[in-house]
This record gives sequence, C-alpha cells and structure tokens, in this order.
Amino acid sequence: MLAAYVYHYRPFNDPLPIWTDARWPWLLLPLCIAVAVVYKSIRCKSMRRVPREAAGLVIVIILGMAAAAVALALVVRGLER
Amino acid sequence: MTRVSPLMADASTSSLAKNPALIALAGWLVPGAGYLLLGQRARGLTVGITIIVLFFLGLLVGGVRALDVPGYGPHGKPLVAGWVGAGPDKEGNKTWEPAIKDTPPADDWRLEGWVLTTHPFEEIRAKPWSIAQVMIGPIDLFCDWWSVRVSQPSNPLVPHSPPIAARSHSRLNELGVLYTAVAGMLNLLAIIDSSHRTSGEASGQTGEK
Repeated sequence: MLAAYVYHYRPFNDPLPIWTDARWPWLLLPLCIAVAVVYKSIRCKSMRRVPREAAGLVIVIILGMAAAAVALALVVRGLER
Repeated sequence: MTRVSPLMADASTSSLAKNPALIALAGWLVPGAGYLLLGQRARGLTVGITIIVLFFLGLLVGGVRALDVPGYGPHGKPLVAGWVGAGPDKEGNKTWEPAIKDTPPADDWRLEGWVLTTHPFEEIRAKPWSIAQVMIGPIDLFCDWWSVRVSQPSNPLVPHSPPIAARSHSRLNELGVLYTAVAGMLNLLAIIDSSHRTSGEASGQTGEK
C-alpha cells in the first residue's frame, strides 16, 4: 500500500522533489556561484584571480539578498500592524 | 609570430579573432567558444562549462517542461491563430473573434496559421523568458524540442492521458526558469565580451594570464 505512494522521481522529466519551503532557498546558492564565476571570468584580466574574486562576490550577493529579505520582512510586518 | 605557449593564439586563430561576428556566432553556438577561438582556453572553458551546467541544473530543478516554448501549447501541440464564430451581431451578420488554440474547434473556425508565423511578437511577448533562454544557442533549441516532445500525452491513443513529463509549479518552476534564463543572459554577456575582445586581440592588448 505504502509503495503505491512512493514518488518515482525521474530526473529532468519531473521537477526536483523538494516539498518544504525551508529547502528551496538553498537552490539560490548554485545560481549565485555561477553568476559570480562567469562575471569574474569576464571582468578579471588574469584567470588566476577568478577563484578568490568570485568567492568574494558570492558572499556579497548572499549578504545582499539576506539584507533585502530582512528589509522586506520588516516592511511586511510594518504593513501588517 | 612564434607560438611558445598553448595559451597563445596561433596563426589561424589570429585570422578568426579579427572577425567579431564570427566570434559572437561561435559563442552563441557553443557557450565559451568565442574565447576559445581567441586562444583564451581557461576563460572559455570556465565560462562555457559554468553556463551549460547552470542551464541543465535549471532543467533538473524545474524539469525540462520549465522551458515554455513559443508556438507550442501546454500539451505539446502547435498553437494556431484563427477566428472563432461569436454569434450574430445586431444586424444579424455572423461575427468572428480572434483566438489562439492548440486544438481548434471542428466547426465555426477560420484558420489563420501557426501563431509563431502569424503573431510572432505577441507570442514571444507572452513567453519573455524564452528570449533569454535562446541565448544559450542550439542547446536551448534541442531542449525546447525535448520539452515539446515530453509535453505530449503518454498514450496518444487515449485522449486525456497524462503527459510524459510533469510540469513544475510554484517556486520550483520559478527557479527552473530563473536558472535557464540567467544562463542565457550570462552567455549573452560572454558573447558581447568575447566579440569586443577581438579588437584588443588584434592589437595584442588582451591576453590571458
């Protein structure tokens, strides 16, 4: 009976089996890394500087998004009152 | 010019590197190929692999049906534009209303044609993410074909059988679309940068260390 409810995940044919709101924000991390790597690969004259500069940019993006999230949460709470 | 390092452009690369349009076309066909033609192997491989991985990661997160293909409906059928009968007006003349359908009605229907040839701008405007996604090049076109194929019913003989692949909703769909569209926009950035570097490459100003 239980086996009938087991979700048969098929990569690419089915979306990723993530059901909770607590997990999906982690999917923004690969996006930030990719944006930082490509942007710094384009901007840096020397490719040797890319790993360090991209790591710095990833941190800046994440902190920026976190700050934006906190600011929006405060605005929403303020409007709710 | 004597070639002393694999990172240096050879003679054939130099002639290719002078043509920005060719570099841009190569970058569109294969992400990062523009830099490879300029002899910047590390940059080309880093940019190309990152963009392709990001694109396929988007398809993994949202499913391949996260790609909303212009000209095709949710059931993988071509969308057709036409006029559907809307009853008589005050004077008793039959009126027609414009409509876009993937399965047009058998009667009271005047076919205009495939929506991507009759109303291309309206159709693309309805699916704006496809503009960013197509910047990936033939990889996106192949995945569009894949998306249309798996949108079709799993059993063509049964009219309302479920599609081969499920369509994502909510956050996962948004993330899938975001990943693929950002990958396309990053490739556009790489295309512009690599073709811009042709002038510097020709004068020997731009190099990879």
